[in-house]
Formats: sequence, C-alpha cells, structure tokens
Amino acid sequence: MDTKEKVLNILQDLTGNDVSEDMDSNLFDAGLLDSMGTVQLLLQLQSELGVNVPVSEFERSKWDTPNKIIAQVKELQA
Amino acid sequence: MQITNVINAIDKNSEQTPDRIAYDYLGETHTYHELKCYSDALASKIGQMNLDAQAPIMVFGEQSFEMVATFLGIVKSGHAYIPIDQHSPNDRLEMIQEIAKPTACIAVEKLPIQIKGIPVINADELAQIFKTTGRFDEKLAVSGDQNYYIIFTSGTTGKPKGVQISHQNLTSFVNWMLKDFNLPDAPVSLAQAPYSFDLSVMSLYPTLVSGGTLQVLPKKITDNFKELFDYLPKMNLNVWVSTPSFVDICLLQPEFDAAHYPTLSHFMFCGEELTHRTAVQLKERFPQAKIYNTYGPTETTVAVTAMEITQKILDEDQRLPIGKPKSDMKISVLDQSGKPVDVGKTGELVISGPSVSKGYLNNPEKTAHVFQQVGNHDAYHSGDLGTKDENGVLHYLGRLDFQIKLHGYRIELEEVDHYLNAQKLIKQAVAVPKYDTNHKVSQLIAYVIAEDNDFENNMDLTVAIKKGLQATMMSYMVPNRLVFKSSLPITANGKVDIKSIMREVNS
Repeated sequence: MDTKEKVLNILQDLTGNDVSEDMDSNLFDAGLLDSMGTVQLLLQLQSELGVNVPVSEFERSKWDTPNKIIAQVKELQA
Repeated sequence: MQITNVINAIDKNSEQTPDRIAYDYLGETHTYHELKCYSDALASKIGQMNLDAQAPIMVFGEQSFEMVATFLGIVKSGHAYIPIDQHSPNDRLEMIQEIAKPTACIAVEKLPIQIKGIPVINADELAQIFKTTGRFDEKLAVSGDQNYYIIFTSGTTGKPKGVQISHQNLTSFVNWMLKDFNLPDAPVSLAQAPYSFDLSVMSLYPTLVSGGTLQVLPKKITDNFKELFDYLPKMNLNVWVSTPSFVDICLLQPEFDAAHYPTLSHFMFCGEELTHRTAVQLKERFPQAKIYNTYGPTETTVAVTAMEITQKILDEDQRLPIGKPKSDMKISVLDQSGKPVDVGKTGELVISGPSVSKGYLNNPEKTAHVFQQVGNHDAYHSGDLGTKDENGVLHYLGRLDFQIKLHGYRIELEEVDHYLNAQKLIKQAVAVPKYDTNHKVSQLIAYVIAEDNDFENNMDLTVAIKKGLQATMMSYMVPNRLVFKSSLPITANGKVDIKSIMREVNS
C-alpha cells in the first residue's frame, strides 16, 4: 500500500466515508473532521505510517482536504 | 478561605484589588472593578424591567467578559441565568425557551432567530447598559435555595432537561474547591469550556471568588493547533481545568511539560473518565504538579468526588479511581432494589447532600424519576455504575442506560436517535458509541438506512445529512461517522439489535 492509499484508509476509518472521489473537498466544512478527529488522525499517522506531525506547526488550512493531507504526509516522509 | 455568599465574595475583590485582572480574553483584559460596575449596572436595569420575580433569564453568547458580567448582573437582580451557547441550533433555543419559560433574554451575541413574547436585551443595548452606573439591592440578589443557574443537558426524548443549581449548591461546591485542592491564592486559571457546559463552573467561580484571573482559550484558538501552541505558553497558567480529551490534544506537543510551563501547578479534570494513559503521560511531563480526577453529574453541581492522582495510584490502579465524596456528601452504591451492595460489589451511585439539585426545571415527572428526598437532603440516582473499595474510595465503571460521554459532553443516545430519525433523508437510524482501548468513547457512529435519494455518492449524502442534523441538534451530538446499510439487525422482539451493532463497531 502506498502513502496515498494508507492515508485514505485512515480517513475512511475516521469519517466512515470513502473520500477518494472527493480529494479536494474540505473535510472540516463537511463536518467529517473536527479537533478530536484531528487528534485521532495525527495519532494514526504516527502509528500506521510512522509520521510524526509537529503539532505546533499544524495549521488547519493546510490539512483540510484529502489531497492536502496526503501532500503533507509525503513531505514529512521525504 | 471559605465563603458564605458567592456574589459578595466576588464583589469583595473589587474593593480590595479593584485593578486586578478578572478576565483575560487573548490579551483583552477586564478588572474586578469593571466586573462590579458592569454587573451592578445590569442588575439595576433588570430591576426596572418589572420582570416575573422567580423566572430565569436566558443568556445567549460565548466566552466573553460581557457574558460573565451578565451572569453576575442577573443573579444580583434576583434571577437565575440559563447559559446558551452561541453555536446552538435554532431549534434548541426555541425548545429551551418553551421549557424554561424565561422572563427575558439577554443576547450578548446576535441572536440567529427572533425570540418572541419576552423582552430581549441585544448586544448594543447591553453595551449601553454597561456604560451606565447602577446600584444593586443586596436584598434582591439570589441567595439560599434560590436558583443561581440552570444548565440544560441531553434528554432522552429530544427534549433537554434544565438542571436547577441553587446559590446554596454553588456555594457548597466553591467551598469544597477552595478547601480540598490546595489551589494557589488568586490563581490564573484556564477557562476553556463553554458556559453551557458545567465544567466551566469549575474554573469560573473558584477563580473569581479568590481574586484570580480567568485566562480564556476560545474555540477559534483551540481549533487551530498552531495557534493553540503559540498561545498556550503565554497564558502563564497556574490551574488547568479541562476535560481529559482536551489535555490529550495538548500532550501531542512534546514541549507541553513543566520546563515550558513552570507556573502550572494544578490539573483539574472532570466531564469524562481520566484514563490511566493520559494521567501517566501528564505525570511524566509535570512530575511536581498536582493532578486531580473528579467526578459528578451536572445534577450534583459540577463534581462531588475527587482523587489526587499520585505515582502510587498510577502504580496501583489501571483504571483510575474517582475518589471520595466531598465531606458533606454521601454516595451510596445501591443494587436494583435500593439496598447497599457489599464493599467491592457493583451498583448504582446514589448521591445525597447539599450539592444535589432540587430537580429539573418545569419537569416534575423526570425529577421524580431520579431525585428522592432522603432525610433533610435530596438524593440523586446518577445512573452511573460504580464500586466502593475497603478504603471508601469510589471507582466508576460505566452506565446503567444509554448515556455516554464523548469528549466530556454528555449525550443520551436515545436523543441522538430521535434527531436522526426525524431527518428527512433518513429512513431509520441508530447511534452507537465506539470505544477505544481505554474504555473511552472515541466516536459516535450511526447505522443509517437512507431514504431514496439522488445523491451521486455516500459522501454527498453524508454531508447533506450532517448539514441537516447540525440545524437541529448540538454539533457535539452529531455522529462522527454514518454507516449506510440496506437493513439493520433486528432482535427476536422486533427491535433494532443495538448490542450486535455495538459488537460490530467495537470488534
């Protein structure tokens, strides 16, 4: 499984939705993610992908769509 | 320090330390002198409005100094206040008005709908009132058994219940906070919970009566972690008051520790179970700080038991105890027939003493169901399951009914079901909690049979349903996940088989 698939799986697990058709929709505006959902997202990225997101740098506007989340994760993996 | 009157104790700070900061909202500060001036002016104005003397006043807004000054002005005028969060759906506002029959409404923030039939003071008028000078008549102020505030909680039929907290209930709570927790003098306290959630009372009144400063952390900051961690160290907090869920967010940042927060000496948790995992992490980061786990339903005034979580407790108990009741309270562990169970056995926690509310406002039926007169005091049947060990220490074990706590918010699953099934895109639905490995609810999941619809995919359908739900129910009650099904499992009795859905969700 590549990064994209893994992230989409985590998002599916968190939101109950296959978001692969809506890669640019805002998950916060759609009511699919909130603060506590974000916490779970970060913890799952850490445990399943080994990606440590520096939470003090976490800006919601940079993480609000599936595409942006995947891009952020890839950047942190690089 | 002990107090006999909450209002006088707060006002005393305006005489003794008038220039001290009472409220700090992101650097915008207000003093105790201002708090007294604003609240006296409002009390005087309310006194001239010829309102129904015993009826409460609705207050609509979010965290702001004006909100706190309004609460104080209202109780000085002899009325109780009903805090309603700005983010409440319109239906809830109307329903609370219908149930509580308030005599007036004060809109600290702009109302989303028109409130009919009662006088409304809007934000502009309120600002004008705060500029006037007025005196309040001490004899009129709320005291004794009169209601001080009324907080609405989740009700099973979709009708929220208004818990009446009297001046005496509140005074007893505040005195316990001042006596049993070794709080610093004039503490700088975290004010993070919305005022419609009674966890906020835990920082609001103990801080204001002791001349401390409320450091506000509004939702717009906590929602954006970068801003949160920029601002948090600048708050110079002494006393932390939050749900365990909120401190979990903060623990994500490695620098949330004693070296970076040297003044933080007390952590007070309430609203949901404090997990061993969270407490261990916190103790490692803040080895010198005092960490308190507290427990109590809204019906018994914020909290009634407490336990300092020491290293010894962490070593001994995997599931943390909720501690012992405050000294004037009694908590019995009763079986189904109402008899006390043996030490170490499980039963319902029944709470009695001066912290127990007189009941739900204008709802004698629900009141009679869970409140009982025992001797001179009311007893409240909490619906919480627990045990008492040989040292008299209580342990929380879960619920008797379908009530859950999600990130500190109390939710009746039946209420969620009520709203789900009223949604026009839903044919049938049932909500169940998903638990994490620490017995804590991590998500609310709804199994949904959708009505026939033209949505292209489930995502669009989910978004449409969530939008619809947000208009009718509090956002924290809206299920995190919707799982679409063509049918739901049914029990032999023809009911939806919630247990099997629970098993599936938690497998």
